Amino acid sequence: MIKIKKSAVLAGILGFTLALSGCGGGGGGTTDTPAAQPTDAPASTPKDEGNGGTTAEKPGLRMIMQYGLFDPKTEYAAKYIQERTGFNVEYELLPAENADEKLNLLVTGKNNYDIVKLNAMQFYNLASAGALESIDELLESHGNYIKQSIKQESFGSATIDGKIFGIPETGAGASIGEALVVRQDWMDELGLATPTNTDELYNVLKTIKEKKNVIPLTVSNKAPAIYGNIAATFGVFTDWKEVDGKLVHRAELPEMKEYLTFMNKLYKEGLLDTETPINTAQKSIEKFSGGKAAMYELPWWSAGTTIEALTKNSPEAKTSIIPYLKGKDGKAAIGVKTNTTWYVAILKSSKNKEAAMDFLNAKLEPETFKGIALGKEGVHHEVKDGKYYPILPIFNDELNNASSFLTGVDEEKYPIYWQARVRKDPVLQAHFEAFQKNAEGIIVVDPMSTAPPIEAVSKNLLKLTTMLDDNVLQFISGAKPIDAYDQFLAQWRAEGGADMVNAANEWFQSTK
Amino acid sequence: MDHKKALEGTNTTRGVIQTSFSEKCFSVFNYAFFIVMGLTTLLPFMNLIAKSLSSEGAVISGQVGLLPVGVQFETYKYVLQDSMFLNSLKVSIFLTVVGTACSLFLTTLTAYPLSKYRLRGRKGLLLIFVFTMLFSGGLIPTYLLMQNLNLVNTFPVLFLPAMVNVYNMLIIKNYFEGLPDELEESAKLDGAGNIRILVSVIVPLSLPVMATIGLFFAVAFWNDYFAAMIYITDPAIKPMQLYLKELLVSSSGDFLKDNVDAAINATPQSIQASSILLATIPILLVYPFLQKYFVKGVLVGSVKG
Amino acid sequence: MKPTIEPSPAPHREIKPKRGYWGRLGTDIWKEWDLYLLLVPGILFILLFKYTPMYGITIAFKDFNIFTGFADSPWVGWKHFEKLFTSPDFAQVFKNTVIISFLKIVILFPLPIMIALMLNELRNMVFKRTVQTVIYLPHFLSWVIVGGLFIDLLSTNGGIVNKLLVSLGMEQIAFFLDNSVFRGVLITSAGWKETGWSTIVYLAAFTMIDPMLYEAAKIDGAGRWKQLWHITLPGIAPIIVLMFILRLGNVLEAGTEQILVMYNPVVYQVSDVIGTYVYRQGLGNQDYSFSTAVGLFEAVISFTLVIIGNSMSRKYLQRGIW
Repeated sequence: MIKIKKSAVLAGILGFTLALSGCGGGGGGTTDTPAAQPTDAPASTPKDEGNGGTTAEKPGLRMIMQYGLFDPKTEYAAKYIQERTGFNVEYELLPAENADEKLNLLVTGKNNYDIVKLNAMQFYNLASAGALESIDELLESHGNYIKQSIKQESFGSATIDGKIFGIPETGAGASIGEALVVRQDWMDELGLATPTNTDELYNVLKTIKEKKNVIPLTVSNKAPAIYGNIAATFGVFTDWKEVDGKLVHRAELPEMKEYLTFMNKLYKEGLLDTETPINTAQKSIEKFSGGKAAMYELPWWSAGTTIEALTKNSPEAKTSIIPYLKGKDGKAAIGVKTNTTWYVAILKSSKNKEAAMDFLNAKLEPETFKGIALGKEGVHHEVKDGKYYPILPIFNDELNNASSFLTGVDEEKYPIYWQARVRKDPVLQAHFEAFQKNAEGIIVVDPMSTAPPIEAVSKNLLKLTTMLDDNVLQFISGAKPIDAYDQFLAQWRAEGGADMVNAANEWFQSTK
Repeated sequence: MDHKKALEGTNTTRGVIQTSFSEKCFSVFNYAFFIVMGLTTLLPFMNLIAKSLSSEGAVISGQVGLLPVGVQFETYKYVLQDSMFLNSLKVSIFLTVVGTACSLFLTTLTAYPLSKYRLRGRKGLLLIFVFTMLFSGGLIPTYLLMQNLNLVNTFPVLFLPAMVNVYNMLIIKNYFEGLPDELEESAKLDGAGNIRILVSVIVPLSLPVMATIGLFFAVAFWNDYFAAMIYITDPAIKPMQLYLKELLVSSSGDFLKDNVDAAINATPQSIQASSILLATIPILLVYPFLQKYFVKGVLVGSVKG
Repeated sequence: MKPTIEPSPAPHREIKPKRGYWGRLGTDIWKEWDLYLLLVPGILFILLFKYTPMYGITIAFKDFNIFTGFADSPWVGWKHFEKLFTSPDFAQVFKNTVIISFLKIVILFPLPIMIALMLNELRNMVFKRTVQTVIYLPHFLSWVIVGGLFIDLLSTNGGIVNKLLVSLGMEQIAFFLDNSVFRGVLITSAGWKETGWSTIVYLAAFTMIDPMLYEAAKIDGAGRWKQLWHITLPGIAPIIVLMFILRLGNVLEAGTEQILVMYNPVVYQVSDVIGTYVYRQGLGNQDYSFSTAVGLFEAVISFTLVIIGNSMSRKYLQRGIW
C-alpha cells in the first residue's frame, strides 16, 4: 500500500517538475524579443443596447483613471455613462501608492489604452515624453460640448508649446479649505474676545495656556496647515505671489522669515503644540476633539466628524470659527489656488482617437454631465431654494465615486452641482459655507494657477516644496535657528529653486 | 506525577534534574520576562480590537484604550458586507494556499541538490542564486518580462516570480546539510534514487524546517501587495493586502489634501481597524497550527531505526 | 546526529584521472542524473525571472527615459553615481545609514537568538506555545500602525512612557523630536516588531539537536547553563552563521520603510538614511537612472560584504553559504 502511494507521489512530482521546467523554458525563449510581444486585445464588441440614439457602431474604449476604492464595473456612474453615450468603456484604476510608476508601465506597455486622467505632474511627464496626442484639431471637429463647457483660459493650463494636450478639469472652483476654529466655551469662560490679528491671537493663546493648561493651538505637520491663516497675515499665501510685477516663490519672501519667527515664538512658549512636527491631521483632530487643544486649523471636510466627536466627548463644548485674521496693514487676506486638478488626455498610441474624443465630448453634453455629477432629480438629488441637496443614502451609495468618472467639467455649473456633496452633513455644510463667506472679497488667487506646465517648474516643484515644508518645521520648532534661513534659501535655489523661479517669471512676463 | 513532568515527558527526553538555586531564579525570571513581553505585543492588538468596536467619535478623539467605548458592531457588519473586501479575502486565501504549496515544493527541490557537497559546480550555482538576492534588474524590465509572458493581470503572476526564494532555499539547504549522511547512504543501499530519498526520507525528517519555510511563504504571500499593485488592475484578482493598503492610504491625510471628494468620503477609523483585524486574523491562525511540527528529537528514531 | 559545526565530509573524490572538469561533470550527471534533474526547474525559474530582466541595471549608466526605451537612452557613464557622492547631504546620510544599521545588527541580531534560547528553557508547553504565538503578532502590523503606536506611547502629551517618567520625578522626553534619543526609538520599535518573528527560524533549528546529547550531559552532571552553552548553542550555530551572513547583505538598508513612517524634519540629522534621502530627492521627477544607480551602489557593497562574511566564516567556522 504505502509503496504504491509513494511511487504515485514520486511520479506526480516528476511530472510537475517537467511541466514547470517546460513552461519556464518556453517562456525563456520568447523573452529576448520584446518587440514581438502579443498585445492584450481591447475590449471590443461594444454593447449598444439602450444608448442615447446613436446608431453607428462604436468601438470599445479603455481608460486609465486615478485611484478610487471601488470596482468601476459595478459603479452607477459607469453604467449611466454607457447608457447615455453608447460607448462601452473599460476602466482601469491606478493604485493609491506608486501611481506614477504604474501609470508609466501601463502607458509604455502596449496595452491599447485610449484615455488617461492625470494629475498635473503626470500630465507634464507624459506630454513632454511625447506620449499624449495633441487634441487641437479633434477638439475643433468633435469637441463642441467640451468647448462650450471649458473656458479658453483653462485650456491654457493644458497647452504646451502652443498645442493642447488634454482637457483640463478645474474641479469645484475657488474655495477655501481651512480656518482656525476655537473652543468658544473656554473663550467665554475666560472672558476672551475673538482675536482679529496675530497680537490678539498671541494674547488669547497665552491666556488659554495659563488658565486651562491645554495645548493652546494645534496644527498638523503638512502644508497647507503649517502655513494657514497665520502665515497669510504676514503676507505668505500660496506657493507664488506677485511682487512688483514679478513672481516670487514663498520660500523667497522676506515675510516668510517674519512668519517663522512668530511661529517659533509660539512654539518656544508652548502656545503652539510642541508635537507639531509629528502631528498628522488625525493626531491634531484627536487632540482638538479630545479636549486637549483649544484651537485648530480645521479643514471643512473634517468638520463633521471632528465636531461630532468633540460634542460627544464634552457635551458642553462649543466651537466657533475665527474670521480670517488681519495683517499689519489692518486688512485680512487669504490665498487660494485655482489650479487645474486633473487633465484628461488621449494617448498617442490609441487606435480610436476620434471615438475617444466623441466619448469625452458626449460626457459634457449638459444633461449627461448633470446626470454624472448629480444623478437623477428626485432620485439622487432634490432642489431646495435653488440649491441642490443630495437624497441620502442613495446619493452616497451610487454617486460617492462619480467624481472619479468626470473628464472635464462645465466650469459654470459644476461648482454649483458639486456643493450637493458638501450638503451631505449639516455641520460640514455649515463650516464650508462659513469659511467661504468669511473669505468673500479677501481672496488672493495664486498667480501661477493658470500657468501651463513649465519644465523647470514641473520637474522641481514637488521636491522643492517638500524641502521648504521640512525646513519650515525645523525653523518653527527651533531645530534650526532663523539665522540659518538664508543658508537654507541658498541651497533651495541651488537645487533647482532658482531655475524654477526664472522659468515661472518668463511665462509670467509673456502673459502681459 | 505532576503535570510539569508529564509535559516534559511528551516533548523532551530530559528527566528530572536537580535544579540549582540560580536555575530556579532564572526560571522565575524567564516566565516573568515572557509575561511582560507577551503583554507588550498583545496590547496593541487589544487596542485595535477596541477601536474596531468603538463608536467613530470615540476613536477620532482618542478616547479608546484597551476597552471599546460606545460599543457597536456595525463596522464588522459593514466590512463583511463589502463585496470588494470579501472577494479580495478569497483571492488572498487561494493565493496563499496555492503559492505556498508551489513555492515550498520548488524551493525544497532546489535546496536538496545544493545541500550535497558532491554536486559539481555547487559553489558557482550558489553564488548565482545569492547574487539575485542583492542585484535585480528593476521594476521596468521585470514588468516587460511579465508582459511578454502574458502574465500581466493574471493570477499566476502573483506567485510564479516568487516561487524560488533564495533566502528560504538557503535555510532549507542549511537544514538538509545538518541531516546525518547515514540516512542517505542506508537508503541508497536499499536501491533508492535521489528523488526517492528526498521524498520519502529527507522531507519527512525535515518537517520542522518545512513548517517554518511554509509559514514564511504563507505569510509572505498573505502580506504581499506590491506584486498585485504593479501587475494587477482587475479588481476580481486583487488580493486583500492591496485592498487594505489602498483603504489606509486613501484615508491618510496626505492623500486627502489633494482630493477633496475623497476627503469627504474618507473611511472611518473604526472601519479601518476592523478591516485590519479581519485581514490579519486568518494568517495568525496558521502558526499555532504549525507548532506541532516543531517537535524535538524527530531525527532520533530514524537514525537508529 | 551530532550538532557540530564541522563541515560535512568533503566530496568523495572519484579517482578517475585524465578527465577534464566537463568530463567529470558529465560522468557525475550520468551517474546521478536525478540529483541534477532536481536543480533544473529552480535554475530555469531564476534565469527567467531574475536574470532575464538583469539588463535593467545598465540604466544606472544611462539617462533612462521610459518612453525612449532601454536601448535608445543615451549612455552617461558615472554621472548618477557622481550626483550621489557629491550631493551635500551624502556624507551625513551615509553615516546615518551605517550607524543605524550597525546598531540594528549589534542589538537586534542577537536578540531573537537569546529569546529563542529562553523560550527553549520554558518547561510549560501551553505557556510556551502561547508566548510564541503572541510575541510574533507585531510582525503582522504594518509600519504605519506601529509608528502611530509608538508616537502615542512616547508622546509628551499624555503618552504612557512620559507619564511614568514624570511620576518618577524625571523630565519628559520628546522621543520623536530629540536627536539624542531618536535612533533609540527606531531600534526599539524595530526590535519590538520583528524579534518574535525572527525567533521562529531558531526554534526550528532546535529540533535538530539530538536529545541524547542532553541525556549524556546530565549524566555528566552538567547543569542547564552548561547544556545551553555546550549543546544548544553549538547546535544552532550553523543557522546563526547563515542568518548573520544574510544580514550583512542588508547592511545599507537601515529600514527605509520604517524611517519614512517615523521620522520628521527635526530628526533628519540623525535618521535620514540612503533610502529616505533618495525617496525625497526623487519626489516628482521619475529618475529611474538615479535610483537604479543608488541601488547598484548598495548591492555592490552588500555583495562584497556577503562574500567577505562567507569566506571569513569558512575560514574560522569551517562553514558558509557556499
